Amino acid sequence: MSAEAAGISSVATAGPGAGWALLASELSVLFRRLRTWAMLIALAAVPILIAVAVKLSSRPATPGRGPLFLDRITQNGLFVAVTALVVCVPLFLPLTIGVVAGDTIAGEANLGTLRYLLLAPAGRVRLLLVKYAGAVAFCFAATATVAASGALAGVVLFPVGPVTLLSGDTISVGESALRSLLIAAYITVSLLGLSAIGLLISTFTDVPVGAMAATIVLSVVSQVLDNLPQLEWLHPWLFSHHWLGFADLLRQPIAWTSFGENALLQAGYIAVCGALAYAKFSNKDVLS
Amino acid sequence: MARARQRWLPALLIPLALAVAVLFGSVQAGATVSLPPKSADEVLAMIARTEVRALSGTVEQASELGLPEVPAVGPGIAPGTASALELLTGSHTARVYVDGPFKARVQILDPMAERDLVVNGGDAWFYNSADNSATHLSVPVPSRAELRESLPSASPRPDMPTPEAMAKRFLAAIDATTEVTVGGSSSVAGRSAYRLSLNPRSAETLVDTVDIDVDAETGLPLGVQVRANGQDEPAYSLAFTELNLSTPDAGLFNFTPPPGATVTEKALPAKPVPSMPAPEPDSAVPGPDATPEAFGQADPKQHGATVSGEGWGAVVALPAGSAPAELMSSPQLAQMLQPVSGGRALTSSLLSVLILDDGRIFVGMVPLDRLQSAAAAQ
Repeated sequence: MSAEAAGISSVATAGPGAGWALLASELSVLFRRLRTWAMLIALAAVPILIAVAVKLSSRPATPGRGPLFLDRITQNGLFVAVTALVVCVPLFLPLTIGVVAGDTIAGEANLGTLRYLLLAPAGRVRLLLVKYAGAVAFCFAATATVAASGALAGVVLFPVGPVTLLSGDTISVGESALRSLLIAAYITVSLLGLSAIGLLISTFTDVPVGAMAATIVLSVVSQVLDNLPQLEWLHPWLFSHHWLGFADLLRQPIAWTSFGENALLQAGYIAVCGALAYAKFSNKDVLS
Repeated sequence: MARARQRWLPALLIPLALAVAVLFGSVQAGATVSLPPKSADEVLAMIARTEVRALSGTVEQASELGLPEVPAVGPGIAPGTASALELLTGSHTARVYVDGPFKARVQILDPMAERDLVVNGGDAWFYNSADNSATHLSVPVPSRAELRESLPSASPRPDMPTPEAMAKRFLAAIDATTEVTVGGSSSVAGRSAYRLSLNPRSAETLVDTVDIDVDAETGLPLGVQVRANGQDEPAYSLAFTELNLSTPDAGLFNFTPPPGATVTEKALPAKPVPSMPAPEPDSAVPGPDATPEAFGQADPKQHGATVSGEGWGAVVALPAGSAPAELMSSPQLAQMLQPVSGGRALTSSLLSVLILDDGRIFVGMVPLDRLQSAAAAQ
């Protein structure tokens, strides 16, 4: 509460820089929250758990079973990050994004701070944009946390060497770091649509837990629908359709098609959800 | 209240604009271009004259044979066994790189995995990322003179899963009863093409028509669509979605097995350059096949197969024991087969397979009763 109050006082002095000040305060509030840190630490634990489990197990993993590259971790620690991302993308990352995105507007409304935020002449559109930017920043932080902790755990526990791509070609450690960054960027982009959906749901309710749950449920529903062959016509329109497409960045040469299709799809979700969220939020009666 | 309604306007307009953009995009993709009219013979001559030696592109293969959907991945499915069957259902994307007749690379892009075939002169490598295994084949390199004789058009390797190789197989099936027409123009991979239609006009075969899209500029076949009798959707299609006719990067054709991979060495018996195979019904659905055997030995005659009948109605008979045991015992195949008198059969809209109890296999793009009469005749 004290952090939020400080944020409000700093933007109370309106001006052209008010939007940036609001963004700065939003980010500082978000990343000073205990909940945010707890979620990031939980995400960082996933690759560490994988690496330790592989290190301690006496039986070598069977090739072709388990998540991608699990069998190759013992030979090259750099695969820990990729394996951890594969594990996190379907559930853990959407879970944390759902919490942050669902909390954006509903959380402020629930705490009664939304009224004060709107007292400042920052405007509702700007507040919406700032809230979305905060959620996006968390998307990147979450993905980068998994990738970085995976790389760290891999380097500490296993030997490191040239990385084998899906195509069978090998690349140097430096290039593999670059590809890891690209994968992190891909996953961040993948989660933008879900963040926009969370923001939209958040404008409809004053109960943050409801918005969080609805966002997470939608991400699961989307993935379930994506696995039903009877709904093949729907698949290209599901926001989770390209979530695991980052494997295309591990081919030689890189297949950029899925990156482009994914970005276009997420942009569509941002546009539609953003427009709906604007309509709802600008007409919302802020009573509390 | 009017302001409130105004605020809902973007929420209405933006989805509308997106829907219009999507519709417009799909209409534009299917738009036909006007090309100078050509006769069927002229288009056939264009295919024969094509001088494309190098290309890189993406091909997409789709099968809609009316078979039950079989999961390609999942518990209890050994890698490799499903590959032959998965070609009968579902769709695949592959990237193809060709530089002359000696260098080629095919990458089958599976979700979270990839299967690669790299051919460079006398070396052929097959790599499967799912189980990190590599297979090395030594292929005898034919002399230049031999090559000129057998490959007059200097086309890419005929056993590559390209629309060109597929098209040539169907063109070889043209006989006196086949009606060949040019059905206007089409657009494939952003290039304008003539659509050549082959209509077997024979009641013996399940094939209704075969459409081949021929690039208007180079004469390269860009796509093949096979329609089956009594089915609206194409039963089988293979077409470029992206195509670049410049020479691919030479580094793509150099393959060294990655560290940690299990490497198997295999030697192929010396054989002449794989020349254009005769139209075998079972090779009508090769697609981007998955095993090195399928790439290297496109000619089923090597297994002692015999062909009865001609053209579209041909039936291939395989002796007992010629099919891989792991394929025959796979649960997916059992799911597709139905019991018939004397054995089991797989019937689809385009292809029929009859597996007799004594192990013999009959395959053809014909109705099942024709396979049974062919089996009875032997």
